[in-house]
Amino acid sequence: MTTMNKTDVEYTIPEVTPELERGPVWLRDQRRASREAFNVAEVPPRGLHLWRYTDPKTFLYDRDAVADTAYSENYDIVEKIELDNLKNGNIAALATDLGGRDIKLNGADELAKQGVVLSSLSSAVEHHHELVENYLYRLVNARTGKFEAMNGALWNDGIFVYVPDGVTVDKPIHLLRESGLARSSQFPRLLVVVGKNAELTLIDEYGGGSLDENEGISHANGAVEIFGLEDSRTRYVMLQRQASAMKLYLTHRAQIERGASMLTVPLAFGALLSKENFGVTLNGEGADSNMYGLLFGSGYQHFDNHTLHHHAADNTSSNIDFKVVLKDRSHSAYTGLIRIDNDARTCQAYQENRNLLLNEGVRADTIPELEILNEDVQCSHGATIGPMDPESVFYLEARGIERDEAIRMIVSGFVDHTLKTVPDDLRQRIGTFVAQRLERI
Amino acid sequence: MTQSKAHFEFKDIHVEVEGKEVVKGVSLTINHGEIHAIMGPNGSGKSSLSNALMGHPNYTITSGEARLDGKNLLEMSADERSRAGLFLAFQYPLAIPGVTVANFLRAALKSHRGKDADMSDFRKLLKAEMSDLSVDPSFATRYLNDGFSGGEKKRVEILQMSMLKPKMALLDETDSGLDIDALKTVADGINRYHNDQNAILLVTHYQRLLNYVKPDFVHVMMNGQFAKSGGPELALKLEESGYDWVEKEVLQKAEV
Repeated sequence: MTTMNKTDVEYTIPEVTPELERGPVWLRDQRRASREAFNVAEVPPRGLHLWRYTDPKTFLYDRDAVADTAYSENYDIVEKIELDNLKNGNIAALATDLGGRDIKLNGADELAKQGVVLSSLSSAVEHHHELVENYLYRLVNARTGKFEAMNGALWNDGIFVYVPDGVTVDKPIHLLRESGLARSSQFPRLLVVVGKNAELTLIDEYGGGSLDENEGISHANGAVEIFGLEDSRTRYVMLQRQASAMKLYLTHRAQIERGASMLTVPLAFGALLSKENFGVTLNGEGADSNMYGLLFGSGYQHFDNHTLHHHAADNTSSNIDFKVVLKDRSHSAYTGLIRIDNDARTCQAYQENRNLLLNEGVRADTIPELEILNEDVQCSHGATIGPMDPESVFYLEARGIERDEAIRMIVSGFVDHTLKTVPDDLRQRIGTFVAQRLERI
Repeated sequence: MTQSKAHFEFKDIHVEVEGKEVVKGVSLTINHGEIHAIMGPNGSGKSSLSNALMGHPNYTITSGEARLDGKNLLEMSADERSRAGLFLAFQYPLAIPGVTVANFLRAALKSHRGKDADMSDFRKLLKAEMSDLSVDPSFATRYLNDGFSGGEKKRVEILQMSMLKPKMALLDETDSGLDIDALKTVADGINRYHNDQNAILLVTHYQRLLNYVKPDFVHVMMNGQFAKSGGPELALKLEESGYDWVEKEVLQKAEV
């Protein structure tokens, strides 16, 4: 063969890109280090841990082949709903992030009166450079992995949220991250710092992307870093409802200090293929982390999810409840790791993954993993994979409820506990995603 | 359609579970206003019979007939049987996590009436029925049977019956697992529901519920068949002497 097919060539980030030239020296250094790490790192072999279920080459693409892109018209519908929510006082602020290229803020001025910062990352690099320099790249960086390095080099703009010590943001801040249409690529990035004894609820919603595989796939590679300082209380809801020809890679890492609590709610309904990795490090005594995950697959969707609870301090507690509902020909793989350090004593860690299969032809994999280097712990994990219990369906039928409705009620019940952790107005919208998927069963 | 006087009747019912015949041809006619009791030792087929009549997927009726007010029940799915007026209070009610008692009852009533009940009427009705059955009002918002004690589950079964007001109620071991106070509460609920337009078939191992809910007829079931039928006095005799003497009688008959 004299000519190489372009798709066979592994993509490397060129020495000069607009992003690599952007920002102050420390940031350019971080970007260059990320570029170097990405170019040097091998593509993870398929047999390698965490890559058994998804081909890593999926996330290698020549992003230079992608020009500026258009956005689906639908995003304004959601934006409008959330602007109404802002007007009605259901949320504190709304940030709309168009592919990391254009970031619009609503309500940020009002938050600023409390000292709370909601801004683009590029603006924060200028106006809050000490905070950003201190925290950015600390949890997700060139050493995390090849694709995290790719984001670290190529993110264009992102979002920064900062809550000063002792401040409670009493309503959710909503982030709407919109991906471009066919053949677009984006590298969304989020940095959140919740100060000592401060409180924040953040909704991070990922929408948009290519609607039609024939027109081309669109890609996103996201990075989220969240810091919860001492005695802070953070709730982070990640809603993934990307379009049907979108491929998503996302790494979330949070670190919480002494006495802090963190609630993480990953909800996934969208994308053709998604690999999402959520991790919380309990870094101070008494820190407490809860994760309530839910994904609902249909069609040919492929979900590959990881969770990590890393106990790095004494008396820390964590709990994971990750629920999966699959129909049609969808596939979910879930890997949940609990790591307890040698010097982290009297910790409690629980993990449960339940998979409800609505028809034959779906596939669910579940891999619980424990790395416990300390004997003074309470730890348990459990997983179930199975179809709906026919006896439960019969119970509802025996009360006159038709079979399809009985199944809908049982699935809604299965997800109810998870959705209870989500703010009211968002829960209604999520309820409609569940209902839509239950229309044909 | 010719309507017989009989309210609920089944004829020569055979039931199989996992390929094994557990009910071997039983027949019964129940008229409006009557209370019948089926008694029998464990494994005699009485729970299989009531589950099969309701349409449980694990219990296959291989032959026989069952009619409610002349309508052929065996042609109907379980939800259709319920809407036709048949009710089964389960021996072991399952927990349905995430579905509250109130939402469950509202969905059940909607399916029976063909439309949503008015919310405030529904709340009033539910509150009154719960109070009559000494069910704590907080149960309305709890997940159905999730973490309920045995007695609470049985009371909630009777609550469902009093809300749905079926024409024909099959009560499968509703007395098991109840202490004496709960037994009286449940029995009061059954008696309040009962009138001359409906009928009850109690399935029970012990006689004690029959002290509070008086049957007109008692049938003894053994080895998948009715071995003996009689009046309420039969239940008392079974309580005193157990089931052995019935079995002997059956064997003697067989020898003759």
